[in-house]
Amino acid sequence: MTFPRGRRWRVTAHHQVLQPKATAMSRIQAETPLGGPGSSASAGGLAASSVPAVSDVLAGEGSATGPPRQADRLLVDALRASSHPADDRFHRLVQLAQRAFGVKMAAVNLLDDTTQTSLAIVGTPAVELPRSDSFCDWTVQHDTSLVVPDARLDPRFSMKPSVTGDPHLRFYAGEPLAGPGGTPVGALCVFDDEPREVSEDESRLLRDLADWVEKELIHDSDQAQAREVQRRLLPAYPIVVPGYELAGRTAPARNVGGDFFDWQALPGGTVQVVLADVMGKGLTAAVVAAGVRAVMRGMARFNGLGETVGLTAASMDEDLSHTGTFVTMFAARLFPATGDLEYVDAGHGLALVVQAGGEIRMLTSRDLPLGAVPGDRWQVHQDRLEVGDTLLMVSDGILDLFPDVWSAVQAGVALCAEGRDAQEMVDRLAVIGGEGPLDDDITVFVVRRDAS
Amino acid sequence: MNLEKRMQGQVVVLSCAGRLNMTSARALRDAVGTTVEGGSSRVVVDLTNTSFVDSSGLGALVAGLKVARLAGGDLRIAGASEQVRTVLNLTNLDRVLTPHRSVAEASDGW
Repeated sequence: MTFPRGRRWRVTAHHQVLQPKATAMSRIQAETPLGGPGSSASAGGLAASSVPAVSDVLAGEGSATGPPRQADRLLVDALRASSHPADDRFHRLVQLAQRAFGVKMAAVNLLDDTTQTSLAIVGTPAVELPRSDSFCDWTVQHDTSLVVPDARLDPRFSMKPSVTGDPHLRFYAGEPLAGPGGTPVGALCVFDDEPREVSEDESRLLRDLADWVEKELIHDSDQAQAREVQRRLLPAYPIVVPGYELAGRTAPARNVGGDFFDWQALPGGTVQVVLADVMGKGLTAAVVAAGVRAVMRGMARFNGLGETVGLTAASMDEDLSHTGTFVTMFAARLFPATGDLEYVDAGHGLALVVQAGGEIRMLTSRDLPLGAVPGDRWQVHQDRLEVGDTLLMVSDGILDLFPDVWSAVQAGVALCAEGRDAQEMVDRLAVIGGEGPLDDDITVFVVRRDAS
Repeated sequence: MNLEKRMQGQVVVLSCAGRLNMTSARALRDAVGTTVEGGSSRVVVDLTNTSFVDSSGLGALVAGLKVARLAGGDLRIAGASEQVRTVLNLTNLDRVLTPHRSVAEASDGW
């Protein structure tokens, strides 16, 4: 979860019933830049993730000798996937290297087992190269710095297409870049179409810059792993509840948080739905979220809702204390035949029912998050989903997109009023973020009771 | 963040000047831990000069609260900004981390 910056809102209402004004609704609709499904943010969505399994990434860690293995390709893919287009850290580093050397071109290149791609490049268009045509291939293979003062005079490189043709390389200096496990995954290089020597000071500078790039790559790899853990927290199977639609989605931030949503069919036809937000970022938050989800699922089969939340808090208390974190959660049990709903709000505050007519009520309480006070208990409240009602749960990342909580609520109401299906609603809410990396994860989870 | 510790009667006041975020949260947690281990479990965290608190900072306050309560004391906060009070309210944490206007008000009755 993140904090709102400089915004003022309060949600203390318990079962507050509000009739949104038509004017406010239309204003929100007008101001809300809703992209269609598959627009910008959905590319960063979990469904589109091409990050390999954590175990695969970890398998890439090991000694820095020998030719790159399959695991390195997966690692390189993970690094590529985790670098957001709007993120110009590597571009700035490359530009710095280019200026420091006073050369025409510089790049951070990543190499998998067959291909070189540029994570960032200045002075020449980015092109994918076969490894055999690449200078950086030598740097990575030998895992040491390479200086080629004049490629035309160097038999190792004089016949490379980039020397005999565009961009007619003569000078190259490169430093290998180690991935998180120490295996070289690419190189930072400066190059030119004029011959050039490199001083000792310049060699040191290039290595310093390469160390900097490595740190950023390791950071991104941690994030990629956190994202993968989070991706695996998604419900493994769709759930079919006759008379209802359920849909959820998480749009992960660049710095992955600990959001998750879950649904679970319980004995007797009851359905448990959960949306939780582990405070904090990165792998720690994602791993804590995995723990909370697993314990909730295990406890739910044999316990009532209040006990399930209490036992989960008790089971996780040590982990939460060690990591200095806590968890806000909205958990509910739906009895499909009647629409009856039991819910617990553990300091989450962002769940509401939008009635068919557009009236809303917040499902909040004064209970604390999990991990705030040892031995705490959670009260179970009652509600009911009538025909056409929608239970809308969001994580607080959504509040980064609206000036205050009521604007966010109204946007949700507006979507419900459009009569979209649940999946379309969550897709639309999740892409409101528009271009650029999100500051915090946004999770949206909808349970709608069919109108007919 | 600059962390200052002073005794005020039976109460230990920890003043956080600057940003209480992921990098400084650990320092606050450790400072509360050391204070409680040293026998003072009544702690006021003064946020008057804290310009920014993120979720890790809030986590440190909650962790400190647990440590202090476990030792039979309490942790109270003073001078929290609107931003911090807003989040305390949304998460209901204001029930256990009541925001006091000043250190004097927070220490009242201790």
